[in-house]
Amino acid sequence: MTIKNEAQVLTISDIPELTAVNAGAFREQVTSALRESPTVIEVELSRTRFLDSSGLGALFALYRSVGESGEATLRLVNPRPEVRQLLELTQMQQLFEIVQR
Amino acid sequence: MLRHAVAPDCAAARDAAAAVRRFYAEQGASSAELFGCELCVAEACNNAVLHAAGAGRARPVSVEAVCSATQLELRVSDHTPGFDWPGKVALPGVRSANGRGLFIIQAYMDEVLYFRGPGENVLIMRKRRETGRAISPGPAPVLTPDQSRHRLNECERAVASLTHELRVRSETLSAVFHCCAELGRAGASVGFEERLLAEMLHLTAADWYVLRLVTPDRRRLVIAAVSSAELNPGPLALAAEGEGAGSLEVRVALSRVSARFDARACEPAEALRAAGTTANGVVYPLYFSDVLVGTVAVGRRAGDFAFGDLPEEVGRIFADFLAIQTAGLRSREEDLRTQLLARELDLAHVVQRSLLPVALPQMRGFGLAGGWHSAREIGGDFYDAIALSEYVSLLIVADVMGKGVPAALFAMNLRGLLRGLSALFEDPAQLLGRLNRLLFEELSAVSMFITAQVAVVDVRAGTVTAAGAGHGPLLYVAADGVSIGALAVQGLPLGIRADVEYRSQTIVLGRPGTLLLHTDGLTDMRNPAGETFGQSRLVAWLAANHGRGRSATELRGRLSAELKRYRGDAPMADDQAFLLLTEETRHATSRFQKIGRPRKATVAARAGAANH
Repeated sequence: MTIKNEAQVLTISDIPELTAVNAGAFREQVTSALRESPTVIEVELSRTRFLDSSGLGALFALYRSVGESGEATLRLVNPRPEVRQLLELTQMQQLFEIVQR
Repeated sequence: MLRHAVAPDCAAARDAAAAVRRFYAEQGASSAELFGCELCVAEACNNAVLHAAGAGRARPVSVEAVCSATQLELRVSDHTPGFDWPGKVALPGVRSANGRGLFIIQAYMDEVLYFRGPGENVLIMRKRRETGRAISPGPAPVLTPDQSRHRLNECERAVASLTHELRVRSETLSAVFHCCAELGRAGASVGFEERLLAEMLHLTAADWYVLRLVTPDRRRLVIAAVSSAELNPGPLALAAEGEGAGSLEVRVALSRVSARFDARACEPAEALRAAGTTANGVVYPLYFSDVLVGTVAVGRRAGDFAFGDLPEEVGRIFADFLAIQTAGLRSREEDLRTQLLARELDLAHVVQRSLLPVALPQMRGFGLAGGWHSAREIGGDFYDAIALSEYVSLLIVADVMGKGVPAALFAMNLRGLLRGLSALFEDPAQLLGRLNRLLFEELSAVSMFITAQVAVVDVRAGTVTAAGAGHGPLLYVAADGVSIGALAVQGLPLGIRADVEYRSQTIVLGRPGTLLLHTDGLTDMRNPAGETFGQSRLVAWLAANHGRGRSATELRGRLSAELKRYRGDAPMADDQAFLLLTEETRHATSRFQKIGRPRKATVAARAGAANH
């Protein structure tokens, strides 16, 4: 997983999968990156082949940290079709912008 | 069909989901089907891991995937307390942190069934296959000759592999059936593990094994069978922090999950390194009905132990069979021990009852009756009476301190000696001294001893001469004919010291005379409230019952009834034995009538009377 912060845009990418195995680590790493107060947070999902409900829980925690208060805009970028279908099925698009570039 | 045992953690659950994906990919499932199935297995396994309770936390989760032309079916077992699957699972609110797992399973699958069972629940998930998809992915392309040869080679390898699998499965079953048949024959249980494990070595191409069984106290794993003597590194403690906690066999036993062993990459203290510094293999847990039976380790001393799916399954079948048979044998041994114990108790009862005299000697003008009540566990209480002349008898009650057949046998020995010696000694103290010398060696060798009370009654002279060996006092009607005396002549029990001088004491029996010798089973008996009967109650009973013209037999019946009444529902902790001698002449009755009733019971304290 790669986290980069440029011009207050925090980009989290290279996530092969987000599951019960690594959701905790994902949350810890992202939480420490949030100290730099980004205004946009993009989770790049083009390489994410698999996501389960614990992974959805980690995205939801991110929303609770910064999205709910409106501190930052949250985007899920380029999810694969199966992942996008899961995000839509669980109505995560109500919390995140889902962007295809 | 794919079958996968998942260690109870999320990483293993993830691996299982990926294995299901690979399996269905080989069957030509679409990417949407693959994603859905992988996701649902991950959700089901995570739930099984995260919600497992108690011993279920250590048990593996099993995942099965089945593929047909029209349907994909997944079965996931869990050891959680289980729950009622809701008819329709609603999506939790978008702001809800969790609870999406069941919703996802329901959304991706066409049919979901959840069965709750004792100790294990099963989730069955079914997904209809997309139209037009069959087991093979699409029409076969036109192949070049090289491709055809390659395909042919692959098919031949597959057929060879299937043939091998069939042979191994058939030999496994044959070995198991053969062993079952052998176990049916008497005596064949000895060494059955070795025979079964030798078959296992052959079928898995292994060259060593170590079978450990758990001890009855469940604290250690001890060696039950090894392929060669140097593989016996001693027992392993099962306590998690104790000695042996680091050893692979203990970890496998406690986690219930089989594990690979490689001597080149394990702790120097690992017990299985006894198989050699280059040894490797697999350790299986042996469980039966959720109870640890032991572990079995198999492997090769050198060279990699090629443990593919099939040998692993063969090993698992053998391990399961070993666990079942070992548990069965143990249970049969247990039954046998219980039967032997019951038989010993029966035997002891027979011996003990045979010790009691069929008929007691009756002296002129006096009646003599004995009472004996046996506790459930056999003790060694008994009484006897030997006529020394028309007017003189020797009475004894004794208590062999011990249980079961040994106590009954010592009582028998004592009775024999007593009958042989009684004519030689008029003084009970001398008789006890001689009995002690004769019995000391045998009694002290087994840490047993005997308490006894011996009395020589001369009804013509109206005297009782008594001696005691660690026994309670005898009760008698004192010279005033009213009060009850307690005569305790102290002395060491038989079997404590080699040479003991006993002393005797003579008292005058009041009239009408009554004498009661008894074991401590009477006075120590407790009622349901836990209160002992005690000597004062026995004295009061005797004071209220003697001299009313009742025969010895009648008094015995009354005393037995009183003891039974007092005990009520309380368990009988010890045997009870007593001898009652009472004057039965008309003369005695008329004397009693002159004295009159009611009378107050008093204990005539005697020098040396014990505090009973």
